[in-house]
Amino acid sequence: MSAPIRLPPIVRERLPNGLGVVVASRPGVPLATARLVFRGGAALEPRGRSGLAHLTALAARRGTARRTGPEIDLLVESLGADVGAGVDEDATHVGLTAPVEALPRCLEVLADIATGPTFPPAEVNRLRRREIAALAHDLDEPSVVADRAMLRAAYGDHPYAHPPEGRARDLANVRRADVLAYHARQYRPGAAFLLVVGPVEVGEALELARRRFGRWRAPEADGVVVPPPSAPPPGVLVVDRPDLTQTQIRVASQGFARRSPDYYAGMVASAVLGGGFTSRLMQAIRVERGLSYGVRSRFATSAAGGLFYVSSFTKIETTAMLVQVAIDEAVRFAEQGPNAEELDRMQNYLCGLHPLSLETHDQVAERLADLAVFGLDESEITGFQDRVRAVDAEACRDVARRYFPGAKPLVVVVGPAKDVAKGLERFGEVRVVPVRAVT
Amino acid sequence: MGDATVGSAARERVIDLEGVRARQLPNGLRVRVLPERSTPAVSYYTFFQVGSRNERLGLTGISHLFEHMMFNGAAKYGPKEFDRVLEARGGHSNAYTSNDLTAYYEDFAADALETVVDLESDRMRSLRLTDESLEQEREVVKEERRLRTDNSVFGLMEEQLESLVFQAHPYRWPVIGWMEDIERIGRADCEAFFRTYYAPSNAAIYCVGDVDPEATLDLVERAYADIPRGPPPSPVAQGEPPQRGERRARIRFPAQAPALLAGWRGPPARSPDAAILDVLQVCLGVGESSRLRKRLILEEELAVSVTLSWGWRADPGVFFAFAELAPGGSPARAEEAMAEEIELLTRRGVSAKELARARALLRSSALHELSTHHGVAHALGQAEALLGDWREAGKTLAQYAQVTDADVRRVAAEYLHPDRRCVVELEPEGARPRPPRRAGGRRR
Repeated sequence: MSAPIRLPPIVRERLPNGLGVVVASRPGVPLATARLVFRGGAALEPRGRSGLAHLTALAARRGTARRTGPEIDLLVESLGADVGAGVDEDATHVGLTAPVEALPRCLEVLADIATGPTFPPAEVNRLRRREIAALAHDLDEPSVVADRAMLRAAYGDHPYAHPPEGRARDLANVRRADVLAYHARQYRPGAAFLLVVGPVEVGEALELARRRFGRWRAPEADGVVVPPPSAPPPGVLVVDRPDLTQTQIRVASQGFARRSPDYYAGMVASAVLGGGFTSRLMQAIRVERGLSYGVRSRFATSAAGGLFYVSSFTKIETTAMLVQVAIDEAVRFAEQGPNAEELDRMQNYLCGLHPLSLETHDQVAERLADLAVFGLDESEITGFQDRVRAVDAEACRDVARRYFPGAKPLVVVVGPAKDVAKGLERFGEVRVVPVRAVT
Repeated sequence: MGDATVGSAARERVIDLEGVRARQLPNGLRVRVLPERSTPAVSYYTFFQVGSRNERLGLTGISHLFEHMMFNGAAKYGPKEFDRVLEARGGHSNAYTSNDLTAYYEDFAADALETVVDLESDRMRSLRLTDESLEQEREVVKEERRLRTDNSVFGLMEEQLESLVFQAHPYRWPVIGWMEDIERIGRADCEAFFRTYYAPSNAAIYCVGDVDPEATLDLVERAYADIPRGPPPSPVAQGEPPQRGERRARIRFPAQAPALLAGWRGPPARSPDAAILDVLQVCLGVGESSRLRKRLILEEELAVSVTLSWGWRADPGVFFAFAELAPGGSPARAEEAMAEEIELLTRRGVSAKELARARALLRSSALHELSTHHGVAHALGQAEALLGDWREAGKTLAQYAQVTDADVRRVAAEYLHPDRRCVVELEPEGARPRPPRRAGGRRR
């Protein structure tokens, strides 16, 4: 039904300074992806400094000992490349995709950005102002507001509670000294690895990595361990947007960490409940009732823990109905598990699409980065299909019973509180906050 | 370096079309197959030459609503069966509707090809349109409209802008349609729409991936040969009057911060100027070192983000510039800076280095698009739908290599003239203006 997965030959090397280098040489379009990945992301920010990791990653390319920010922009873009920097809760990425012939030059720039940023004060301040303004624009995106409100309500005081972009009031307090300190602590070769994927010659790529990154020195620091989060508190949070004509809805419960033994059973169970177009939620909410354009469920898995959630949206008057259908379907699934046809279909679906998630150099780099961040091996990719097929109905039912939302989950709704709050009382105690409370 | 890049781009084939096998069936269906065995999967695209440009007032949005109806069952595979069968064979499908075309795709493990051909030919031959499924999809589409337009700052602004840029052409209404028209579309409308626009004579298939080309052509021919031709679609009226001065609109909405969307009517995709506008777009607004981003975001902090968009269309397309401002920011100043940069470019043109940068970025973007079976199949289909020939796919790099400074200045003067500008300004309603935290920090 689906072809076995063959990864390209992957060569790994650890440089004397501790930097891990991973080179995957594969045919394909004449582009190459280079990514520098640091273990540790937004969860390592000091309390009250959310957004610091993100700001540091953005600011690193705004000037080095050798080049100004605009010089870096022009150089990289003239090569046909684009430097991207990003942070999630567990990792920091700085990378680019470039024409393969420009790889040597791009790696030199990447090394310059990672190892020698000067964080010009004017640029740090400008970026901070820009990020705060961008957070204001995010409040105009109801789906973004819902996701952020859910993280906050679900994780409480845990570092996963804030989005990687941070909160406006925290960012306003970030100073350049914070950026310098964060960079010194987290941007270390011993906590990083360099990925190069594309039609490259392995020996040349390794030699380039040694030459560009070999002299990078930074004092080692103790790794910070992020504690596991506790379960989301049940209840209903309404983020008031009086003007909306459609509510954004999240129904959440406790999930698990990426390395959990429940990972594959959870993925299959969630696919049956709320993956693809034929999932139970899609049938119940879109096909049978026309309540929404889309609905999905997923396990969001991080290093220290995770969430399970259902996300959807509907017109104001059917908000409580949609929440009820989502809960009912989750509860029914936890009681009965999938039937044989559903299980087989979803296993085929997940296995059939797996090769398509490894088609481009970028996709391969992303998967390899995940393995390194979470300390997993390549069998996660090559053995994916076997592991998915090994999940049986009882394992799905078991994982659903332990993680899917029960009758009283955490419900987050973004919409006009005066129209929806009353109807949501049946799901738990309702708390209403203004949209600005989310930032 | 500039010359070497230009030379290699002109000679380079970013997509190898030698292997494409093409056939047209007696019923008019065009079939193009490209074997490509790098990934053991297949992408199967069906393009119908119909979009919102083929609609009329009162039935706006029917192309898009109809796209939804295509997933609701046919003679052999009944309601709910299409995705169920496909997913069970390790594949997935989706579709989109644009101003010009409607495209359906399946991405799947190679051994499911026969199933996919069976599924697609079944619904082209014998789609079942019922009142029940129409009512259900109508509600789904209304939710989609609430999501993408009615509750979206950009969606509201874009809808307003298109109706400023076009006064007569059907591009003036949104692809998703006006809410009242979505409410009005009936089953008889859908049946007539299907007979005309979903006939094989108005369709083309693109199959790229791990397949045998001749066997695939034969398979497709066997599956589709008995489907009759349809009547020729009516031509689309082109009577757009010339624009003789700037057009403006203001949207008041409870947003956190102001935003600005400007647009100009460009040429159709078949014009050689379309590729020149691609180059102009990159010089002006793609990448941190582009003129607008550098000035508005980096140097003067007049905007939080600047996004340019020039999309090729069958009829004259729209060149967009979108800027999000900081809370309390001045749309007038951002607009003035934008206009100054465009005027400067029109007057003085672009440097050889800027042209080389634009070509390099466009080449990477084309390579990126063509790095999957899905991307290649789509590129072939789009080239044929908009330019009349799938062989046009991947030829743009050679066109970019020919673009000169004089070309860029000429198209900027012709299409981005201030008298042809349309502007939509978003005014936050009820938001308290907030001064910037540091009074002196916004200028250099």
